[in-house]
Amino acid sequence: MKLVLTQKEVINLNTVLDNGASHSDGSDLIFLGKVRDISRGKKVTHIDYDIYNEMALRELNKIADEASANHELNRIIIIHRYGRVMLGETSIMILVSSPHRDSSYQASRYIIDEIKKRVPIWKNEFYDDGSEWISDRS
Amino acid sequence: MRIKIKVFASIRDICGFNEKELIVSDSIKVNDVIDLFIKGNKELSEKKDTLLTAVNEEYCNMNRTLEDGDTLAIFPPVSGG
Repeated sequence: MKLVLTQKEVINLNTVLDNGASHSDGSDLIFLGKVRDISRGKKVTHIDYDIYNEMALRELNKIADEASANHELNRIIIIHRYGRVMLGETSIMILVSSPHRDSSYQASRYIIDEIKKRVPIWKNEFYDDGSEWISDRS
Repeated sequence: MRIKIKVFASIRDICGFNEKELIVSDSIKVNDVIDLFIKGNKELSEKKDTLLTAVNEEYCNMNRTLEDGDTLAIFPPVSGG
């Protein structure tokens, strides 16, 4: 089971957890990326995420398919928010379910690393005294 | 030939638009389009080496020749997560 979403709304973890859950899975591994309070020494108030939505969905689906092809997974859910995400809120959720935990840990790491390299989404970090576009490659 | 241009994030701020349509009579490459926008735009010129491009939602290189109806996206390195 694969679910890939981009959304403006807050991620409801409980709803996601039950979506496609199976008794054959020995592990559900959840990664939550959050907006943290300090970035590069500055106090963060929120992040505005810009997105090329059609392409982002395409790349997220490719990454999910690659993770599925290389690891023993029964369920992959990736949800990335866009628009305004406030301090402490979840910006991304990755859930992978598998019979054994090793597959889940490896797949989850692969998914987040590839998202940061390939998916056309950009952070505009806001501080008390201004804002800045962030590039993870710079 | 009509090409739709989309720009994102810091590149949108620099260019001052979200989308534009380019009408050209001759064959044109991705690199040619970028050079068109860079003309007279020092800030964009300084970022040229870091720009990423995609045609019809697939990453492409600067030598890609564009076809009628293509959508070319130009954007900075991604920073999702």
